[in-house]
Amino acid sequence: MENTIDQICTEALREIETAKSKDSLNSISVKYLGRKGIVTQFLRNISKLPPGERPKAGEKANEIKKFLEKAFEDTANRLYSQSLEAHDFIDVSLPGRSALPGSLHPITRITREICDIFIRMGFDIAEGPEIESDYYNFEALNIPKYHPARDMQDTFYVSDNIVLRTHTSPVQVRVMEKCKPPVKVIAPGKVYRSDSDITHTPMFHQVEGLMVGENISFGNLKGILTNFVHLMFDEKTRLRFRPSFFPFTEPSAEVDMLCVMCRGNGCRICSQTGWIEVLGAGMVHPAVFENVGYDTTKITGFAFGIGVERITMLKYGIDDTRKFFENDLRFLRQF
Amino acid sequence: MKVSLSWLKDYVNIEMDVQDLASALTMAGLEVESVTNTFGYLDNVVVGRIVEISPHPDAEKLKLCRVDAGNSTVQVVCGAPNIAENILAPLALPGTLFPDGSTLQTCYIRGQASEGMLCSKRELELGDDKSGVMVLSGAPETGTRISVALSLSDFVLEIGLTPNRSDCLSVLGIAREIAAIQKQKIKYPVKQQPDRNNDIQKYTSVRIEAPDHCPRYAAALVTDITVSESPFWLRKRLMSIGQRPINNIVDITNFVMMECGQPLHAFDFNLLAENRIVVRTAEKGETFVTLDQKERILDPEMLMICDGEKPVAIAGVMGGLNSEIANSTKRVLIESAYFNPLSIRKTSKKLGLSTEASYRFERGIDPLGTVNALVRAALLMTEIGNGKFTGGVIDENPLVHDVVPIKLSISQTGRLLGIEMERENIKSCLESIEFDVENTDADTLKVTPPSFRVDITRSVDLMEEAARLYGYNNIPTTMPFIHAETIPPLKTLVLRDKIKNIMTGLSFMEAINYSFINESSCDRLRLLSNHTKRKLLYILNPINDEQRVMRTSLIPGLLETMRRNLSQQVRNLKLFEIGNIFLSRGQETLPEEVEMVAGLWTGDRYNSAWYAKDAGCDFYDIKGIVEGLISGLNINNIRFTKMPFELCCYTKQGYTAQVTIEDMPIGLVGEIHPDVLRNFDLKQRAFIFELNCNTILDLTNRAKTSKLLPKYPYTTRDITVIISKDIEAMSILEKLNSYGEKLIENTQLFDIFEGDSVPPGKKSVSVRIVYRSAEKTLEDNEVNGIHITITNRLLREFDASLSA
Repeated sequence: MENTIDQICTEALREIETAKSKDSLNSISVKYLGRKGIVTQFLRNISKLPPGERPKAGEKANEIKKFLEKAFEDTANRLYSQSLEAHDFIDVSLPGRSALPGSLHPITRITREICDIFIRMGFDIAEGPEIESDYYNFEALNIPKYHPARDMQDTFYVSDNIVLRTHTSPVQVRVMEKCKPPVKVIAPGKVYRSDSDITHTPMFHQVEGLMVGENISFGNLKGILTNFVHLMFDEKTRLRFRPSFFPFTEPSAEVDMLCVMCRGNGCRICSQTGWIEVLGAGMVHPAVFENVGYDTTKITGFAFGIGVERITMLKYGIDDTRKFFENDLRFLRQF
Repeated sequence: MKVSLSWLKDYVNIEMDVQDLASALTMAGLEVESVTNTFGYLDNVVVGRIVEISPHPDAEKLKLCRVDAGNSTVQVVCGAPNIAENILAPLALPGTLFPDGSTLQTCYIRGQASEGMLCSKRELELGDDKSGVMVLSGAPETGTRISVALSLSDFVLEIGLTPNRSDCLSVLGIAREIAAIQKQKIKYPVKQQPDRNNDIQKYTSVRIEAPDHCPRYAAALVTDITVSESPFWLRKRLMSIGQRPINNIVDITNFVMMECGQPLHAFDFNLLAENRIVVRTAEKGETFVTLDQKERILDPEMLMICDGEKPVAIAGVMGGLNSEIANSTKRVLIESAYFNPLSIRKTSKKLGLSTEASYRFERGIDPLGTVNALVRAALLMTEIGNGKFTGGVIDENPLVHDVVPIKLSISQTGRLLGIEMERENIKSCLESIEFDVENTDADTLKVTPPSFRVDITRSVDLMEEAARLYGYNNIPTTMPFIHAETIPPLKTLVLRDKIKNIMTGLSFMEAINYSFINESSCDRLRLLSNHTKRKLLYILNPINDEQRVMRTSLIPGLLETMRRNLSQQVRNLKLFEIGNIFLSRGQETLPEEVEMVAGLWTGDRYNSAWYAKDAGCDFYDIKGIVEGLISGLNINNIRFTKMPFELCCYTKQGYTAQVTIEDMPIGLVGEIHPDVLRNFDLKQRAFIFELNCNTILDLTNRAKTSKLLPKYPYTTRDITVIISKDIEAMSILEKLNSYGEKLIENTQLFDIFEGDSVPPGKKSVSVRIVYRSAEKTLEDNEVNGIHITITNRLLREFDASLSA
């Protein structure tokens, strides 16, 4: 009798294999597991066996019943999925119901990138007013009235003593007035100069940086800025520091990087020089420290200013600064 | 500052190639902005051989020349007396741009084609001779560029000088830097002393009445001069750096200024009343006609050079027409003065008149350089103008310039630069640029800068010079050791970043508009005359009218952006901007700066999507954005209330809501008023919001605590009421919530209907109430009882009926 149940099982599995539809599978299921099915019959007939064999045979038959039930279920599932594949589908090429994100302005993106780099180097962020007094914008930065250095920046005036800030440097002064050294801070923001052409817009963005403490050196300035440029562009970007002049730093430097377009061979972007000016920097002038009451015998520090538009143009290959403020959607969408 | 290579070579040996020189100067802090070939204009001028000369059929004085130009033979009409067959001469081909600014083209002269021009030395600015064509000697090949044939090579370097380097506003100044770079000595022009006899005192005098403005005034007298055109070398020098030659006397003063940086002025001595000079400030309202023939109004802060009666020059800025050098001038008084930089700067700014002289004076010239320059000019006038140098010079010097030595600590220098610099190293750097350096003690140097380095006043200036000449790129790159302590992040920045992230998540594009707007924007926005947004801050010197005032709202910028995009056929826009507005407190004080966020949605709700019918966006779209933004900021209790009609300006009455949070107004949301659309030339409806970030900031940063999740199931009951159309639907929910029924967990508005089945003037509002208890599963009976009570109360209070 044991052989028989095994034979039934083998036969059932073979028939299950042949089932091609849910219906044919059903009839096979009825044939074996239905009320009058072969397996059911077999189970009923166990009572006719000698009492000693019944438990073992019963156990075995129930096992096989469960096994076949599972086989039917699996096959049913398989047939179901197969039927889905065959008849039930949608046009997955249609666009999804719109949930497309908008975009951040490229200036925002690059400002964030710049700030992130300096934050990781331990800088804090500060902000200041966009409209400034002459004192903070100029005088505290060692640019007295009538100093020729005022010609370096075309200033928008609101009155004799109120200007649209021409740089983010006033934030340096405001921070140092409030905090004792050491100070390490960057100040992103809008600045204004009365200048308008393909490379100048009357409003643009800067990130100012300031690090002040004991024994902060020009070598450190080079270290921080080199690190910045390497992270912003890539580690192979070569830099050069060349002497320049800002009234509020001394020594002052312009920082050029090897042209990203031509790698130093000379092209239109770098005016054939192979180098691109990316930022201005220098050691904070003692006059500025004196204005905020720092002890110039103990304290040294450096400051730098990064033009965000310039970096953005280089990063994204944008050729005209005015594009930033026209807000053509076709332009904005690219970022 | 422009300087030519050949001029520099008068004072310093230059072994470097010009590009290397340019880069060496740049790396020393004198940024070379461009290097141009002086003889670039000769690129189309070649060696030509006159092959054949024949008469011009219609002009007696002209000849027709067939000229071999190397690759071709051209016909040239020429009238020069010295032409002959087989001579070689410079042939300018069509396209040549002459130094006088004209361009050569093929032309017809009396009916005969002239395909080029045989040139004189003068025409090519290669010499004075204009009597005939320049005959070339030797045997250069025809067609060779003339610059090659004559080995002409010179370059002009344009240097962008920083304001501190006034000492380099001269050829000698730049030569000095080159000498230092090459570790050489500069060859100064021979310094000559004037005659010992002081004859000049017999003829003239100088009185300084304003020594603060004029610490030093020197003068020399040259008589018997002949005013004429300058010799070629002098004209060439001036033209090479973009100066227009005038006459020998004026050219000499300009040449000496360019050479050594000392501005000079030449007066026609015969035109000076009483033949003397008085230096004084102007009288109030005094007028004066400058060399450019403009009448200038003077004020008492302006320094004037006067004769015995009247002003003859605005000191350091420009001379007067009344004492100008003319062809008839016979005697010249040369002025070489040191004026107070501030005084000249003020005068120049007030008059809006900047000259080569004022530019140098205001940046500070060499206080000890006056007499040298004076003698140099006087001697050149005797040489070139055939003049006689009257013995001696006048040198009034009421305020003597003190040269103050500066102490420089070697260790401090090292500390600032981040490199241990040897004493000898520092010394040799400073000495190379003519600083006088003495050892004082183990750590200190006593440094006396030369008088022309007016920018050097403190030890840090010396450190910079040392670093500059040592080479910034030779200073090692190091990382600072800094304190790790930090401060909390700036709240404004955190909020701004959050808003930007949420808005882009809501599929809005960030725009950045200028902070200035057109003054008429207020009218265009229909702002009432007393509206706060009319507190405009004016820019005194705007670039144009579009940028005359600081913005008091972000809306004009967004509308302008919308207009620009529509003109590019981009008509579906979802834009936002975050930035400051500026509310004036008067032009003399800092304005109130308020950070705002604004959004604009115009065009379709979906961009022609397959799953939705094309439909324009509406009020509820933009309102949904505001709700999304505020909710994203974790702020609850936002309310939208109808903006009173009289307060609606740029948004449409009835389609504008005031946004409040906890009774604090934070802004508005609504549809742009049709008149405003017209004022901004827009032909498409637009929906906007504008919120005050400063106020929002006060509402954020509240501690969040987590709540327990409910354990028992909820049950819902719907209710549909017919109410007057005037009643705001949300007031039903607010009312429901106000009943304080603890079992109500939530209420939702799920349908609004007006139409057939609803009586006119009414609307049907369907609300779903979610009931839940925190303690148990609610029984139907219990919920029904509460729901009936609430329903009845609602019907009573709203004079409503249940829908049929």
